[in-house]
Amino acid sequence: MASTHGIARTNRSRTDEQRQQDLDRIQKYRDLDDQIQLHVKQSNYSDPTLFHLTTKILRLNPEYYTIWNVRRRCLISGSLSKRSAGLWRSKASPSTSRSVTTKPSCAASSPSPSAATRPAPATSPSPKKAGESGTIPDEEEADPCNAGKEEEKDGDDEEADIAADTSLVQSELAFTIPLLIEFPKCYWVWGYRSFFLSLCDAILPAGAARDFWAAELALDSKMLTKDRRNFHAWSYRRFIVSALESTTTKNDGDESAKAKSMTESEFAYTYSMIKVDLSNFSAWHNRSNLALRLLDERGADDAARKKFLDQELELAREGLNVGPEDQSLWYYHQFLMDQITTTVGASSKGVGENGKEAKGLIAPNLSLADRRDFVDREVAEIKDLLEDYADAKLIYEALLEYGIAYRAMGESDADTANQDEMMAWLAKLKELDPLRRGRWDDLEKSLQA
Amino acid sequence: MAQLQNLPDELQLATEAHVKYIQNLDSRKDEYEYWLTEHLRLNGVYWGLTALYLLKKPEALPRDATIDFVLSCQHENGGFGAAPGHDAHMLYTVSAVQILALIDAFDELEKRGKGKAAVGKFIADLQNRETGTFAGDEWGEEDTRFLYGAFNALSLMGLLDLVNVDKAVNHIEACANFDGGYGLTPGAESHSGQIFTCLAALSIVGRMESVEADKLGKWLSERQLPNGGLNGRPEKQEDVCYSWWVLSSLAMINRTHWIDRNALFGFILRCQDTEKGGISDRPGNMVDVWHTLFGLTGLSLLGYPGLDEIDPVYCLPKSTTQRILGSKK
Repeated sequence: MASTHGIARTNRSRTDEQRQQDLDRIQKYRDLDDQIQLHVKQSNYSDPTLFHLTTKILRLNPEYYTIWNVRRRCLISGSLSKRSAGLWRSKASPSTSRSVTTKPSCAASSPSPSAATRPAPATSPSPKKAGESGTIPDEEEADPCNAGKEEEKDGDDEEADIAADTSLVQSELAFTIPLLIEFPKCYWVWGYRSFFLSLCDAILPAGAARDFWAAELALDSKMLTKDRRNFHAWSYRRFIVSALESTTTKNDGDESAKAKSMTESEFAYTYSMIKVDLSNFSAWHNRSNLALRLLDERGADDAARKKFLDQELELAREGLNVGPEDQSLWYYHQFLMDQITTTVGASSKGVGENGKEAKGLIAPNLSLADRRDFVDREVAEIKDLLEDYADAKLIYEALLEYGIAYRAMGESDADTANQDEMMAWLAKLKELDPLRRGRWDDLEKSLQA
Repeated sequence: MAQLQNLPDELQLATEAHVKYIQNLDSRKDEYEYWLTEHLRLNGVYWGLTALYLLKKPEALPRDATIDFVLSCQHENGGFGAAPGHDAHMLYTVSAVQILALIDAFDELEKRGKGKAAVGKFIADLQNRETGTFAGDEWGEEDTRFLYGAFNALSLMGLLDLVNVDKAVNHIEACANFDGGYGLTPGAESHSGQIFTCLAALSIVGRMESVEADKLGKWLSERQLPNGGLNGRPEKQEDVCYSWWVLSSLAMINRTHWIDRNALFGFILRCQDTEKGGISDRPGNMVDVWHTLFGLTGLSLLGYPGLDEIDPVYCLPKSTTQRILGSKK
């Protein structure tokens, strides 16, 4: 009933057999759900049965967000060491009408300032009950309900806590991988992973946490190989990178901790993605985001910055030579041209107004003559494209765009932005792109104003 | 609208079929999919009901049963879950408020529910007081969808003063990109869905001054593809739901005329199942209530005859937002 994408409509109705199959599946699914709801009503979060039920139902339906929360509560109430669980103490039971009469589990409700005491396990460590209720045992996951349940010891078992929690995080991450691959656009799966990775940061020594994040980056790259535009994976990537950058690396015996920027390697990553697919705007976008930081970190001087602009413009143009109808390339080209035609502190919207800091530019110290040269050269190159692609409407859009920007740079006496030429490009656009006629009409009015 | 009258039958809006389709959504309990999508039930009621209002059949779903269902999803803390037994979350809380606004039932929330104040507190507590953005629930996932949802619901209840509007606005501005669009978080790629949430949030609090309307309008208008449909990002496929995200955004910056109306009408109408009702993502695909609503809102925004007018900011009928927000609208 909800959001269905890309599934062909069919007019055939189900056969009796298919209907029966559906009813059987529904029965199984609802039984699972009923069992879970029953446990939840009784706040049985520390009962390992509940945890295993969540595994089963999430495999059938990872969009069922409440179950991810139940699963987290199970871990907080049972398997995670008290030290880790304490980080989410208030969340061990949902703040809902259902929980009003129930007590949060012991792990959650008795925060002790002394991390040395751990709650008694709610159940004795029990091996998996294989074949329970005829379902497949969860072979590929370790039994997190057993993790962190070793005998109570003194304060020096922090290491054991860490080891147990680490293996628990590992097992949770492993559990979600097949789900991530099958449902790469499910917000909850991504969210669940980031929850556990953040836990790593909180409980593990920096080096160990780093390993988790690094592995996550590799997984993310794999996800982006499968779907190059998955915006979950791109967002997640930025999240991982920023975590990796803020995780300090400690050398043995060296007290100094150094955070490591990943701007260079991520910038290189966007190039590797673009090489595979020029139309990958997600990669171009990320590249535009990294450019400024890259130059700052390189300590680039004015000459290096100018050279950088040159190189990037050339990269975009190389693409345009083979794909002049590709919006991704034009948007990146436009980003670079904005860098050239915008003046820091200019009164364009969002810059200098409302006390807002002007966003930095790639090459802030270009002289007006330099900037004109850049625009002249690009406009000439783009005009050359017309020889092969006279009907590529994005070429005309770019020419008009840059013509207008050129005028706005001031002191224009050159004929790059010749009015007759502009009107001719506009006429061509109207002819090639009737869908956006209203926009061209507005543009015409502004050009004639 | 003369051209529309000349459209062939399959390009006329199959109003009756759509009404019937929505009415029957809750009678599909023998379909596995019905149970797999229980986590969207409350959203589904909002989508279906709003669609019925646009089709001018507001009575097609029983009002009392709707109120009962909505209130059965509410938790002690004021928030709503997708269905009874599902955890409270911003996404469902917003749907609940929208449904109650639509059917003029805030008084029932006071009488039989936990009251507006509790709902407002649930939402306000999800604001990140440092960055201004909002989480979806206690587990902390943040993005601009939740920020918009918070502004939408709080303003309908007259409770916007519970949150730090300035910080939230700053956060939205930090999500702006060089192409004029907005992403999920600062640094994220522009996406039509997120552009809608950011623009609508700014509209609700009257803080559109930082929007680069021309640049954004260009980007949005380029979403229309030769088949008339709209995509959500550059170099992606068209999909009926973007008829809403892109078009409502164009409406908020007064530029719906930057795309071709009739071409989009044609695309949306070709996605109808004229016999069984409902609208799909693309022609010939399975229909669902989500695409049905966003197909209809797209038609409504462009003035398709016979449909009630939709408010591009709230995704509710204009009659509803005018009743509640009065002259502010």
